[in-house]
Amino acid sequence: MSNLNNILENKIMPVAGRIAGQRHLQALRDGLILTMPLIIVGSLFLILGFLPIPGYEDFMARTFGEAWLTKLLYPVGATFDIMALIAAFGIAYRLAEKYKVDALSAGAISVAAFLLATPYHVSFLPEGATNPVLVGGAIPSALMGSKGLFVAMIIAMISTEIYRFFIQKNIIIKMPDGVPPAVSKSFIALIPGFVVIAFIWILRLIVEQTSFESLHNIVGEILGKPLGVLGGSLIGSLVAVFLIQLLWSCGLHGASIVGGVMGPIWLASMDANRIAFQGGQTDLPNIFTQQFFDIFIYIGGSGATLALVVAMLLRSRSQQMKQLGRLAIGPGIFNINEPITFGMPIVMNPLLILPFILTPLATVIITYLAMKTGLVVKPSGIAVPWTMPPIIGGYLAAGNKISGAVLQIVNFVVAFAIYYPFFRIWDKQKFAEEKGETKATQMGSNGIKA
Amino acid sequence: MNILLCCAAGMSTSLLVTKMEKSAREQGLEAKIWAVSGDAVRNHIDQADVLLVGPQVRYMLPQLKKLGEEKGIPVDVINSVHYGTCNGSEVLKFAKQLVTK
Repeated sequence: MSNLNNILENKIMPVAGRIAGQRHLQALRDGLILTMPLIIVGSLFLILGFLPIPGYEDFMARTFGEAWLTKLLYPVGATFDIMALIAAFGIAYRLAEKYKVDALSAGAISVAAFLLATPYHVSFLPEGATNPVLVGGAIPSALMGSKGLFVAMIIAMISTEIYRFFIQKNIIIKMPDGVPPAVSKSFIALIPGFVVIAFIWILRLIVEQTSFESLHNIVGEILGKPLGVLGGSLIGSLVAVFLIQLLWSCGLHGASIVGGVMGPIWLASMDANRIAFQGGQTDLPNIFTQQFFDIFIYIGGSGATLALVVAMLLRSRSQQMKQLGRLAIGPGIFNINEPITFGMPIVMNPLLILPFILTPLATVIITYLAMKTGLVVKPSGIAVPWTMPPIIGGYLAAGNKISGAVLQIVNFVVAFAIYYPFFRIWDKQKFAEEKGETKATQMGSNGIKA
Repeated sequence: MNILLCCAAGMSTSLLVTKMEKSAREQGLEAKIWAVSGDAVRNHIDQADVLLVGPQVRYMLPQLKKLGEEKGIPVDVINSVHYGTCNGSEVLKFAKQLVTK
């Protein structure tokens, strides 16, 4: 078994480290986080708009007028629907920070570049007409939201790369010494800013000559579709979950590493569901959204370890396990499980790695089937944060539906059943150690023998 | 002594912070201990005398060590068993060792 540890430590660790430390992926992850508080605030309004209380809609309509829902959802339009705009700023800002160049200027240039890549017209269907007309002078709000997310990501990277290249090569307008730093800073951004804008401008002029017509269409075709297939398929999701679990098994934060790649895809599919949900559709387009994983799979944290903690509390014979159970239940309810992964430990512990990897794979399949067959509704696109305690989390993520909470309970029971036999073996071993019978099982630096 | 802890989101290390604070109080040690996410370290490191890294983000160590060198403070990974069991006094001891080394 030490072979497995060897592979984990020497083969997987360095690769994981490199992916996680990769500058652009880091900037992507850290920049997208900027959209999160907004989206969660927007979600609160969504939840209020769709409360499943009998007579709620009538009551609201009577009290606030027929248009109450539209008015209640105004904030949604200013939070969810500007996701790409915020991302364009956030990603450029974080990337510039890593290059140690002025992040604020880089962010501002990136936002301008992103808007430049976006045609300022919307299609509008006048009453009585059969063909929609293009109306100019309007920023299309759809492209400011998740639909424009991939373009925003790419533009933020390109524009910041150009920006820092010019700064680092010192191709800038220099001001004499007496000029206040704030003033000279604004001049520093001039040349790189001009190059970025000119570059995107020319790109747009070229693309407008092709059948794609806009950069958004090209990116949608070349990037959005294949990524959507990858992130939207059962196989793709199983692979992602397997990798997350494998990384955690080496003691690395798998969700954060894999999320750097999959996060934008799951975010975009979450928002596609949100738009459909808000529009009153009952059949939502995507199953695999951020909440699918955060809420329905990782109950208690990566590896669905809440069931394991409950097993510890109820059935431990070993003092150590009993104490760990008491320590871990509080954070576990909020889906934080480091006390378990490191304290039990699961990390580098072949006996427990097995159920740790198997459990979420099993619940992915169960959850997928439950949603595919329509037994449980698909995630509504309400951005429930990953720290939301189970049952409430499932209820909210499903769009205020009991079936979401029930599914969480089913997944919890499945997790319990898979973990339990492994837990018993481990507990027995610990119990024996405590009685001083098998001191020999203690081993060197890794500390654990299975 | 100012001890900065970091992990992916700053959440699980904040568990440890409470335990370390308790342990510091018992020892009569004047200490400011706080936890932040990995990407926020840059904004907090100036106030810190030592930076401790959660084992689950130890892939960030090379990067954070470099940052620590620039600021002239020690940086190291927390022992994963002490981390998992939230052993405040051991981690505090580790922090003190790093600072005095």
